[in-house]
Amino acid sequence: MILFDGKTYESSEQGRLLDELTEKIPGILANKTLDPEVVVDAVIHLRMDLLDGKFNDLLADLPQDVVETYKKQAVSLLSGEQLRAKIRTELGDTEEYITDPVDGFSQIRVRKVPLGVIFHISAGNMDFLPAYSVVEGLLAGNINILKLPSADNGLTIKLLLQLIEYRSELADYIYVFDTSSTDIQGMRKMAGLCHGISVWGSDAAIEAVRGLAPTGAKIIEWGQKLGFCYITQANKTADLDAQLDDLAHHIATTKQLLCSSCQVIYIDTEDMDEVKAFAERFLPLLEKAANENASNEIGIVARDTLVSYTRRLMGYLEQEEKSSDNVLRGRGVSVIIASDSALELSPMMCNVLVKPLSKKDIGKVLFEHRHYLQTAGLICPDSERDELAKLFTSLGIVRVTKAGDMSAYFPGESHDGEYALSRYVRTVNIEE
Amino acid sequence: MKLRRKLFSSKDPYDCNRSELFLGACKENFNHLITHCEDYKKIADGLNIRSAGDIKSVHDIPVIPTMLMKQHEFRAGPYTIMATSSGTSGHASHIFFEWGALISALKMSVKLMRYHGIISMKPCRYIVMGYKPHRSNKTAVVKTAYLTTLLAPAISRKYILKHTHDGYKPDFEGIVAALRKYEKGKAPVRFMGFPSYTFFLFQLLDEKKLYFKLPKGSKIMLGGGWKQFYREAADKETFYKMAKKTLGIDEENIVEFFGAVEHPILYTACTGHHFHVPVYSNIVIRDPVNLEPLENGKTGLVNLISPLCKASPILSVMTDDLGILHDGSDCPCGVKSPYLEIIGRVAPTEIKTCAAGAADILKGVNV
Repeated sequence: MILFDGKTYESSEQGRLLDELTEKIPGILANKTLDPEVVVDAVIHLRMDLLDGKFNDLLADLPQDVVETYKKQAVSLLSGEQLRAKIRTELGDTEEYITDPVDGFSQIRVRKVPLGVIFHISAGNMDFLPAYSVVEGLLAGNINILKLPSADNGLTIKLLLQLIEYRSELADYIYVFDTSSTDIQGMRKMAGLCHGISVWGSDAAIEAVRGLAPTGAKIIEWGQKLGFCYITQANKTADLDAQLDDLAHHIATTKQLLCSSCQVIYIDTEDMDEVKAFAERFLPLLEKAANENASNEIGIVARDTLVSYTRRLMGYLEQEEKSSDNVLRGRGVSVIIASDSALELSPMMCNVLVKPLSKKDIGKVLFEHRHYLQTAGLICPDSERDELAKLFTSLGIVRVTKAGDMSAYFPGESHDGEYALSRYVRTVNIEE
Repeated sequence: MKLRRKLFSSKDPYDCNRSELFLGACKENFNHLITHCEDYKKIADGLNIRSAGDIKSVHDIPVIPTMLMKQHEFRAGPYTIMATSSGTSGHASHIFFEWGALISALKMSVKLMRYHGIISMKPCRYIVMGYKPHRSNKTAVVKTAYLTTLLAPAISRKYILKHTHDGYKPDFEGIVAALRKYEKGKAPVRFMGFPSYTFFLFQLLDEKKLYFKLPKGSKIMLGGGWKQFYREAADKETFYKMAKKTLGIDEENIVEFFGAVEHPILYTACTGHHFHVPVYSNIVIRDPVNLEPLENGKTGLVNLISPLCKASPILSVMTDDLGILHDGSDCPCGVKSPYLEIIGRVAPTEIKTCAAGAADILKGVNV
């Protein structure tokens, strides 16, 4: 289905509608501006209706606990207060100003304006992500073209249609196409209409987008990342047991599927006996957490087991020389002891890697994996925390959290080190 | 491959006393794979099964998930033909078969078909509930459907799906015209195809009040992939009734069998409609939590084992189906080996992830 001008159309009309859009865009850019308050108002409405259960039938396919989490996030994320705070934080001063006079030079007026047209290529990894990505584009005042992820179940169009229903001014700024990513011609045409392309997804997805984007289009990448937890001087750490429990809970609840999820637990040591001792200590905690969060559905359990087993075998195929893993197994979980320090994807689904990484080697290891860095969870004495955070952030980590909060949302946080809205605007200068 | 030859030459296709020979043939196959397929060796080493000596029972053979075969192509020496699994998700796997595997498969098919009374010298007319082999379609289903029409001499073959410039289209009028003609003749008619398509045909005939009485000896042969035999897929009683009502074919003339490219063993339903495990394969049902083997009667992941093929490492594969292995000793048909019931599939792999590299594991590249 296609969403165009606030109406839905059959996918087969894509060619005609894209031609029409090509005609339309210059007029909208030239003659209209979108007030962020219009967007905020529409989203507030949407939040109210969501909490009132208006979209429950659309959410019926999702597991109940996931729906609860979404609703909890919607309460804060989509409130007017949060949205306005987001604009303030991410765009800074949006008021136009005039530069201070400098002898011999003209003064200029400085203003932030929307990038123009943003083409969103959204991954299906979060149910609300495609719609949220469009809302971010709208908050910055842009016209948004969205290519739906193949896994979309109709939720995105429904939500965006609702926004247009609350505030009809938005119709000019939202266009959704269910193009397949194999429709290169269609994708190129959409890419050809935009000033910026916001792409979420795997290395291969991003690579593909780079290939089809016109030279000069700004590519705004939100790539996939790998998270890890770093443990140093565990014996001097207050409430260590509680922190390890929190880490196990984090692993069990995210199933290690998120960018921020813990794939590897690094122990600050060169002694494999210490690594092994930690693994033995952690296994029962992980087993307990996994058990508390286990699904009752055999199909889901079986799928998760198959996925992690497949990933484990892929790991064997990827490596040239691989001694068999030293794996400690519990029911539905495992702790995999490895002697290397590489940051890599675990088999996921509560199968965590434990590796040695002494402080002096952190720089080398993180530099090697710099394109995949995002979140580091820390378990260390309070006295070490600042120094470690400084070390990690100077090497490319953008979130340093408590071990249990690796995937937590913090109001005001950046995403992969950047504020989305600031990537969706241009700063323009007008000579006085 | 001496032991394979011996196994596939077994006189009784359901002989329960050949487990030692079966294990021996599996070890023979394993030895071939670790010396001819580097990737298989890496996996076996990783799982700590370094030589055939580490295989104490069929449970110990390294299990390769079909999920992995869809992302990674394995080769183990020269091959004669390549088959493509008809994946619905867009990812297909290529499996390679060498001449010896084809000969073994042929021996197996002849033995099983004869056992179940499907081979006949009497010329038949075939109606295939699928499509005519065409160069644009290489899936094994098409080839199997065609090969099955060789089990009895064919007077004619009629396909329900026709290849047109828009792809495959059903040719319902053509089938009705053919049925009218065949009804008056003497030659038995054999239907061959997916249960779902066949049931759809019954419904169409019933809706249009078109009822036939086909010649004696006519059969409905239901085949296809595993998913055609899920518990909920078709209510068997209704199916049998509809076959009688629309085509005049009795329950005992409905023959069900299934196989998969990754495990090309023919499972044929007995008179009690059970899919017994033949001598050429073993099935292990594994715990969905930790992949440990489960006892009969419990639901789990279906692990299929057969030393049929050398050119691909499909000695022990795990599908994404859930099934139960039942004790077969009480089955009235006389076969004592256990039988498999397919319950359904694991939850779809539409897993939400943004961990780097994870999507490739889950569903390949998906922009």
